[in-house]
Amino acid sequence: MSKLEYMDKYPQNTTTKGFILKGMWVTLKTMVRTTLPGRRPMTIQYPYEKEVIPDNYRGRPGLVMNKCIGCGICAKICPTTCIEIIEIDHPELGKVKRPQVNLGRCMMCGYCAEYCPKDAMVVTPEYELASYTRKGLIFDPYELQWDAVPGNEVHMEEVLASEINDPNAKYKAYYDLDRPEADDSKCIGCGRCAKTCPASAIEMIVVGKNEKGKDIKRPKFDGDLCVACEQCVDVCPKSCIELKEVL
Amino acid sequence: MAEMTVFLGPQHPFGHGLWTIKATLDGEVITDADPIIGYLHRGWEKECESRLFPQIIPMSSRLCYGSSLTWEHLYAKTAEELLGVEVPERAKYLRVIAIELCRIQSHLMWLAALGTDLGNLTVFLYAMRERELLLDLMVKLCGQRMTTNYPRIGGVRNDAPENYERDVLRVLKHLETKHKEQIDLNDNSSIFLSRMQDIGVVSKAEACNMGLVGPSMRASGVDFDVRRDDPYEVYDQFDYEVPVRKEGDAYARYSVRIEEMYQSAEIIRQAFKQMPEGPYRVKVPRAAPVGSHVARVEDPRGESLMWIVGDGGRTPYRLKVRSPNFVTLSLTKKLLLGYRLADLPAIMGSIDVCMGETDR
Amino acid sequence: MYDLYSFSKDIVDLILWIVCGILRTVLNINSFCDWLESDNVVGVLVYIIQAVVIFAAIFIVCLTMIWQERKTLGRIMDRRATQVGPLGYFQNLADGMKTMVKEIIIPDSADRMAYDWAVTIVIGTGVLLAGMVPLSDRFFLADYGTGLLIIFAIFSLAPFAILIAGWAQNNKYTLIGGMRACAQMISYEVPMLMILVATVLLAGSLNINDIVAAQQDSTWFFIPQILGLFTFLVAAVAEAERIPFDLPEAEAELVEGWQTEYGGMRWGLIMLGDYFRGYVAASLGVIMFFGGWDGPYLPPEIWFLIKVFIIFFGMIWVRGSLHRIRTDQILNIGWKRLLPLAILNLLVVVTLKVWGVY
Repeated sequence: MSKLEYMDKYPQNTTTKGFILKGMWVTLKTMVRTTLPGRRPMTIQYPYEKEVIPDNYRGRPGLVMNKCIGCGICAKICPTTCIEIIEIDHPELGKVKRPQVNLGRCMMCGYCAEYCPKDAMVVTPEYELASYTRKGLIFDPYELQWDAVPGNEVHMEEVLASEINDPNAKYKAYYDLDRPEADDSKCIGCGRCAKTCPASAIEMIVVGKNEKGKDIKRPKFDGDLCVACEQCVDVCPKSCIELKEVL
Repeated sequence: MAEMTVFLGPQHPFGHGLWTIKATLDGEVITDADPIIGYLHRGWEKECESRLFPQIIPMSSRLCYGSSLTWEHLYAKTAEELLGVEVPERAKYLRVIAIELCRIQSHLMWLAALGTDLGNLTVFLYAMRERELLLDLMVKLCGQRMTTNYPRIGGVRNDAPENYERDVLRVLKHLETKHKEQIDLNDNSSIFLSRMQDIGVVSKAEACNMGLVGPSMRASGVDFDVRRDDPYEVYDQFDYEVPVRKEGDAYARYSVRIEEMYQSAEIIRQAFKQMPEGPYRVKVPRAAPVGSHVARVEDPRGESLMWIVGDGGRTPYRLKVRSPNFVTLSLTKKLLLGYRLADLPAIMGSIDVCMGETDR
Repeated sequence: MYDLYSFSKDIVDLILWIVCGILRTVLNINSFCDWLESDNVVGVLVYIIQAVVIFAAIFIVCLTMIWQERKTLGRIMDRRATQVGPLGYFQNLADGMKTMVKEIIIPDSADRMAYDWAVTIVIGTGVLLAGMVPLSDRFFLADYGTGLLIIFAIFSLAPFAILIAGWAQNNKYTLIGGMRACAQMISYEVPMLMILVATVLLAGSLNINDIVAAQQDSTWFFIPQILGLFTFLVAAVAEAERIPFDLPEAEAELVEGWQTEYGGMRWGLIMLGDYFRGYVAASLGVIMFFGGWDGPYLPPEIWFLIKVFIIFFGMIWVRGSLHRIRTDQILNIGWKRLLPLAILNLLVVVTLKVWGVY
């Protein structure tokens, strides 16, 4: 394409539709309105003035220490794997497992608060989290503590597929419905699931005697205490426990 | 005069994200333009192959943080259709309200970026000031301003909070009366018109052949909108217009998007009137059946698709995203050829570039 | 009349009295003191003190103009602007200190001599002009017969220096920016000169004092030259390279235009030079159209500055509301719209003069 053809594509006259004066009138009105003593500009002077943060704001995650049972669901569901369950010394309970959050990786999605069965992980309105070192951003369970108000909790409220059109259906969550089930033929009665269960919902009961005269133990799952954390599923050496979903 | 190659490079106060245009100039006229993308590639599709189905929702909102709700909804819709889950009515209405609020907010951010490109910082601040009101609405709904994580597979995260309808309608009324005057700062300025008219013209045939989608396509005369022609959720229950223009220049793209903002406000009002009572979330299975599914929605930038393949486990086997901006950027040479260097910001501003979804 | 010359002479006399007094009585050096007190040396010292006082005054006025611009632009955009100091007045000093400690990066393949000298000419002419504009009939450095013409002549040296500066930095962006700036400035000086001719016809002389005196006798000159006022203000905004004529330093495509590779205090001085040029353009408008330092009650310097600030407020208001105009449209406006208006203005003035109205 020669140069002349480029120039032809180009508009030759500026338009005369309207004036520039209307825009100038709008800016003048704004300027007068923000300079007069009654009305301030829209900006707030951070850090001297801060915005009002609602209770359900998803800042950093917080931990209500006395509700946590150390089930580890928050660590499993975190998309960035920033939660790690570590052992700490609790003053009353001795050595317990509690979550530790690496805030450098946290994406503040709120899943830990939503999936927590005991509402021990909550969302907090704290967002000023800068630190000088990377280590300073790893919050151990004591630093993670938060005095929760009911607005901080995130509840997971679902209905079953059969109740979609029912306006009065009661809300439930997966930790109320899904329960593990052991396959008797594969179970060797080692009892590891009962030791690992954080909610103490598994009890090894004796169901009979084998040829050598020793007890055959099988796990019994307590439906009221179980929180469907699947720690028994992960730890079973013969993979005989399966989580049965209720849909 | 000899031709000069200029790299309008990745580090540029261009305003629109991280990409390069390699432009060959003859004086001030552009004779060749070559976009170079890929600086923001994060391996999103591969990362998703090792995540559980619910864990991908907050990741998909970071595909394009400006219109994050649309991408989350697209993924939730695709996963629901793969898992064979039906969503309650109230959840559909809540999703529509959230998506349309997100569309208004995304168009306001586009308007702000367009203002800076043309040199008017006042328009930028006025648009951002109104956007703050919409972001406050988002905070009230789900706790975060931009990466909202609101839709879930099987519904939405939580019900609308108390007095939400009153707040939303108040903000919409403010947007349509007081702010309309300040958006018209652009429309009535003959400097703006002379910079945007007859620039970057795309004809109807070219738009169809080269795959341009979204408001840019509707500004060239192609009358297609996924919400109206292939309705999903409850979009067939509403009575709204889809703005279409014939000229195909930058000013037509601008006016299509401004008009879309007000039509979204209409949809939100009708949705609040029609919303039924009932549950808003359904329990879904954790493992997917073997199979694949494609779904498409109308993003603020065009039509976006997602394809998901399940293999029987709890993680997807493959997740593929087609973003509308990727296709639009392939038209760079066609849009820029023959215009001057000074027109480049006006043209690129009217296309609404978002690099997060282009590079993934 | 007690003007700046007498004030400086008083200061010099005071200093010399102290210094020579000490030298004569304590150290007994007589010949040096006689030389110091001779007419030539005293004359030179008086001029030096005058120049320092004028530069200090103009510098403070320019800092106030920058403060006014930032505050007003902030309120137009519905935000608070500068925050350091009472009402934000010391923000410019804070910015100046920050700019001074920045690292200066000079590209390796830049043409050093042109790089340094071009920017010196741009800044130097700006400061020189700001000192040449008198604030009243007693606050001036030199009263020369062809006042307005010399100011315009030095005003138009800048485009050449900008062109060379744009080329010397060895960067494609700056080259484009420099060429655009040069083209824009050259094409807007012609209408300005036409309006100058009209003003000179009305007043009868090029001397600034005479022009202001002529306005004090009859009306202020914006009444016969209403077209000229509008044209001059548009041309002044274009000469000072402000939005809407901002394309040489458009941030969207060319990072900072012809100033991209200047870092640290060089860039700070270029910014200051830009504001000096803006001050000169506004003060020429005041002298030619609004009566200069004419006004009741207050001292004439304060009137002059008030009028300059009002015109500058108009420039800021335009900056806050409008978009940038494209280069070829800028040149269109300069040659095809403003030049005919300026010639029309000249016709009107000639007609009025022939009819004896002025």
